[in-house]
Amino acid sequence: MKVSLLAVLSLCLATTLFGENSSAPVITVHKGISEQVEVNQISGQAGVEATSILKNDIQLSGAFSLSNSATSTITVSGTASPSSFTGTATEKSGGVVLQKNYPGETRRTVHQFTNDLVETVTGQKGIALSKVAFVADRTGHKEIYTCDYDGARTVQLTHDGAISVSPALSADGRRLAYTGYQSGYADIYRIDLTSGARTRIVKFPGTNSGAAISPDGTRIACTMSKDGNPEIYVTGINGDSPRRLTRSRGVESSPTWSPDGSEIIYSSDERGGPQLYRISSQGGSGRLLTTGFGYNTQPNWSPDGRKVAFNVRNGGGFQVAILDLDSGSTRGTVAEGENPVWGPDSRHLIFARGSGLYLFDTVTGRETRLVSDLGPISEPAWSH
Amino acid sequence: MKRIGIFCCLLALSLAACQKTQKQEYSGAEGDYVNGTPLPPRQEGVSFFSDNVAKGQFQPIYFAFDSFEISPDEGKKLQQIGSFLKTAHNNIILAGFTDERGTPEYNRGLGERRAQAARNYLLSLGVSATRIQTVSFGQEMPVNPGHEESAWAKNRRVETGVVR
Repeated sequence: MKVSLLAVLSLCLATTLFGENSSAPVITVHKGISEQVEVNQISGQAGVEATSILKNDIQLSGAFSLSNSATSTITVSGTASPSSFTGTATEKSGGVVLQKNYPGETRRTVHQFTNDLVETVTGQKGIALSKVAFVADRTGHKEIYTCDYDGARTVQLTHDGAISVSPALSADGRRLAYTGYQSGYADIYRIDLTSGARTRIVKFPGTNSGAAISPDGTRIACTMSKDGNPEIYVTGINGDSPRRLTRSRGVESSPTWSPDGSEIIYSSDERGGPQLYRISSQGGSGRLLTTGFGYNTQPNWSPDGRKVAFNVRNGGGFQVAILDLDSGSTRGTVAEGENPVWGPDSRHLIFARGSGLYLFDTVTGRETRLVSDLGPISEPAWSH
Repeated sequence: MKRIGIFCCLLALSLAACQKTQKQEYSGAEGDYVNGTPLPPRQEGVSFFSDNVAKGQFQPIYFAFDSFEISPDEGKKLQQIGSFLKTAHNNIILAGFTDERGTPEYNRGLGERRAQAARNYLLSLGVSATRIQTVSFGQEMPVNPGHEESAWAKNRRVETGVVR
């Protein structure tokens, strides 16, 4: 335990130092696992709301921890009106780390400021502006819901009254694809989240499910069974010109894209229990990824391309495991939960467990519950 | 001549070795199964839930955990469906289901694979591929909502809907 904590500490230090070197400006003080940030009461008409959103953002960022003036290395203050937010972050020495005005409503502008602060200090992408989609059973039917990364603004997106499952978000969070059974069969639908327009894009005979939108938003990978077996296919974003990638006797499911869109990792049970395979998105042969587990499903490729989170099964429940693609080694199980998906920072995961949706920091192991009171929750998706 | 013979032997051996590794390491286009008779187009206005589809006429076909193999006993049920289809002119929909263990999307794939396994069995009996549609509901709509093996065994099934 001591050793692994030490490893985590040194890893964080290395990451922080590296981040500092690669992004030239500002910050000089890096001591611990995360920067200690003090948040002063935000002034202005929307100050109370802005303060609580900002404190929560800082806490959930992973890059920072909330602190008081005695221990903090960065102090944040600001002014919030209903239509704009100005934030200032200063070092103990008085040097300004970040000062910026953001026009727009409070929640969004505070998230923008947090992301900018994370990026300035660590060089990493923040998670505060990302969107989450998931399946909940509150109405007695499985429907698709969306919320912000912190669980705020939860909205029921579909009202199909059928079975609506397996949501996927585009990287920019503007489009959502999901599996709907309105026709009595499993079809893939695409929703433009800005206009609300919905199109049934994949409706071949048999079962069409498990859509994953390519990082550039032009293609969809999914499972189809039209040719007589559930296999992985890649189609255009409108479900056009499907191209078959796999040919096996077994069940292929849950494709996930590499960040550059050139490869796909999926789950296949052709050798008994489901295993993970890696294949070119143009086709070819799937190469087995050895994980050391007998049951491997629901792979999700991190946006930095270096890791795959997936589910393993042990006893009654599901555990989250992480495969490091550089070394090929699996970092045992890190948490209890289903369908882990990476956030934009390739550090946090969101997964479902029972009637909860959880944000999980893979560096510290901290878990934060995002959503409750919607009945059983499953199959989250996370924009980047 | 002798050298050619040896060369051929080596070639055959190395090819065999290649094949073996392929089977162990790879899935996909090479060393695959020629697996599939494409499904016919869906019939407009006909689905497993529509009023023109009768359910319960045939017994469900049951499966072992995480398996899509059809046991000899379950095969007998499919033979009954096959005999029916020989004289009747109805089309059918085979709906695959799983138990609650397994992640949801994998279960949708497994349910579809079970439906396709039942379909392949019927095709081998000479039923025309144009008469059978498949659908998977994965772990949805369990027959028995319990959380023990006796419940799960009833939920791992393929149901047959007869199009009237």
